[in-house]
Amino acid sequence: MRLTTRTARVAAMALAGAFAVTGLAACSTSDDGGSAAADGEPVEIDFWGWVPGLEDLVAQWNDENPDIQVSFHRMTGDDGQKVEAAVDAGAGPDLVQLSTHNLPDYVIAGRVQDITEYVADDESNYTASSWASVSFDGQIYGVPQGIGPAATMYRTDILDEYGIEMPTTWDEYVDAARELHEANPDVYIANMSPSEIGQWSQEIQQAESSWYGIDGDSWTVGVNDAGSQLVAERWQTLLDEGLVTTEQVWTPEYWALVNNGTIATVTYAAWFPSLLAENAADTSGQWAIAPMPKNAGSDNSGDSGGAAVVVLAGAENPGAAAEFASWLNGSDDTQEALITVGGLFPSTVNGLASEALLTESEFYGGQVINEVFIESAEQTPATWVDGPNYGTAQTAITDEFAKVVNGDLTFLEALDNAQAITVADLEDRGLNVSE
Amino acid sequence: MTAVTARPTASRRRFNGAGKPWVPYLFVAPFVLLFLVFLVSPIIVAVWNSLFSQQSSGLGFGGTTTAFVGLDNFARALSDQDFLVSFGRVALYGLVQVPVMMFIAATLALLFDSALVRGRRFFQFAAFLPYAVPGVIAALLWGFLYQPSVSPLIQALSSIGVDANLLAPGTVLWSIANVSIWSYTGINMIIMFAALQAIPREIYEAARIDGASDLRIAVGIKLPMIAPAVLLTTLSSIIGTLQLFNEPQVLKNVTANISSDYTPNMAIYAASTLGKDPNLASAMAVILGVATLIVSVIVLRLNNRTTKRASDGL
Repeated sequence: MRLTTRTARVAAMALAGAFAVTGLAACSTSDDGGSAAADGEPVEIDFWGWVPGLEDLVAQWNDENPDIQVSFHRMTGDDGQKVEAAVDAGAGPDLVQLSTHNLPDYVIAGRVQDITEYVADDESNYTASSWASVSFDGQIYGVPQGIGPAATMYRTDILDEYGIEMPTTWDEYVDAARELHEANPDVYIANMSPSEIGQWSQEIQQAESSWYGIDGDSWTVGVNDAGSQLVAERWQTLLDEGLVTTEQVWTPEYWALVNNGTIATVTYAAWFPSLLAENAADTSGQWAIAPMPKNAGSDNSGDSGGAAVVVLAGAENPGAAAEFASWLNGSDDTQEALITVGGLFPSTVNGLASEALLTESEFYGGQVINEVFIESAEQTPATWVDGPNYGTAQTAITDEFAKVVNGDLTFLEALDNAQAITVADLEDRGLNVSE
Repeated sequence: MTAVTARPTASRRRFNGAGKPWVPYLFVAPFVLLFLVFLVSPIIVAVWNSLFSQQSSGLGFGGTTTAFVGLDNFARALSDQDFLVSFGRVALYGLVQVPVMMFIAATLALLFDSALVRGRRFFQFAAFLPYAVPGVIAALLWGFLYQPSVSPLIQALSSIGVDANLLAPGTVLWSIANVSIWSYTGINMIIMFAALQAIPREIYEAARIDGASDLRIAVGIKLPMIAPAVLLTTLSSIIGTLQLFNEPQVLKNVTANISSDYTPNMAIYAASTLGKDPNLASAMAVILGVATLIVSVIVLRLNNRTTKRASDGL
């Protein structure tokens, strides 16, 4: 969800000048899904995705593989929400890029094909957590395409001005927040966006918690588990003491606060730095990137989820589709383009080893920013499990957090409510839930 | 050339309905067909879908089955506190927004109908123009004006010492109402103005001879005579209120104080897209449809009673 909404937002920002519009973007689907490989006829594969530069990679593949011809449709706006309806109506593409958070729903609804037999050999080239995100019950349902390890972008000029070191632990972070706000009441250490769930879940992962888990034949739901409570208490303190702003990320208001130096740090995924550079171009050279603050007694970092390319139920040639997905996401040919043009943080061993990752960034004062993200990826615990109905959990948390920001609830109460909503929804679907 | 001149006689003969009772049906057939395909059949499908549910078992990886669950989805929707609250919210909104908009629209229509306004065409056009702006764009525009750091409006207020927060929990509903009033007052004004133009001028002259002032004529004669138009615009505004979606859905992107189930329509959208439960969403949509029907019937009844004679002309 996060990655799709991000593309939706980027597209909408381009269209509307600033913030997202649900249902603005229109699209046209290309003609019918894959056709069978008749004698001498090439196999045709339809692929929907949003990563920049995919057009060139698809063209390269088509040149090199006359037998398997891929046609590409760039997803914008709410295309992601159309995929399910398209698959159910038998009109979906063969391949689609998908946030891994949504994959369990696709598997449960039978909208994706099991491609274990075609891609099982690829496993050794992928990071453990990314491969886990496409595997359920021992079967593989997709090829990972990028991950989102987190780090902290911070304003060096502001921290220097008030003599504050970039904090390395969350305890220091809270202290720094107090110091900063006391030194200048117009400066806040961070923005707590109630709607930006990725910024929440990366800290949940850091605390080795997970919204979902599997216990035998039942799902477990941990929206309000110990790790979440730890994170909740931290942000409750920051909120109660008035040390954070509470705007929604991606709004003109938010970017105004970032640009005018009201917000001193942003902790987010590896794809965020380029968006920051785009939306706060005037602050070039004033930012640096550090590892996200750590919990006491742990070196863990966090990740807000990634994407995968999956073969949809209607694909007539799952083998050919999987072969292309495997080449696109894992081959040596494609890593550099995915990193430099696509802006992806790789989920592959050859991608992580790519020189393309280690370029200096002018906006971040000449820092090789991906070194921080590589370290973050290595420190992310593989404890997160995606589960069914991620959308309901996410909506419940978002709606409840809005009440926290208004002072109507505490984070702990909000988490309990969201937990109850999520459990009730799974049970309504007939799934086993053990508490 | 000959063909053209021949056509009128030919068509007059062909469409002479005497002895061909099916001819009227032929004319209404396109409407009936579209009505059945695009209105009746979706309603039937929605009602049908609302009686079923997608069920999985265990971890769910065995696939889903469609089970008949009777009225379970309706029970779920009606026991959803937030869904019910969303009806209360649009009711409160409607109670304020519709009268305010109607008052402004009627006042403008009466002003434009009087001899008081110079440059009438220009001002009429200006009042109507916002209606030509798509709802989503209108909400985007106002969204900018509601955000303190980018809004000249709020900055101006702040410079004279007024700290306005137009997106706070208590005010955001009225910020949405403001967008709707801005967008739809013009069209309502035009409908009422058109009705005013149809009133014979002699009536005013008679009133004036009897000593009635302009205000008295407006309130005592003009308004009662355009009651059917007022009823029509009020009814469509009430239905529009229950269907409220665009403005809050867009403004949701700039404030957390609009929840995903802020209005009934948003709750239905959230249930179908975010919650991925089209069956529950169908039940919710049926509930909204029934509620709209009930409210419309009540408004029509009330109006029939109070303005019986005037409504006869509708």
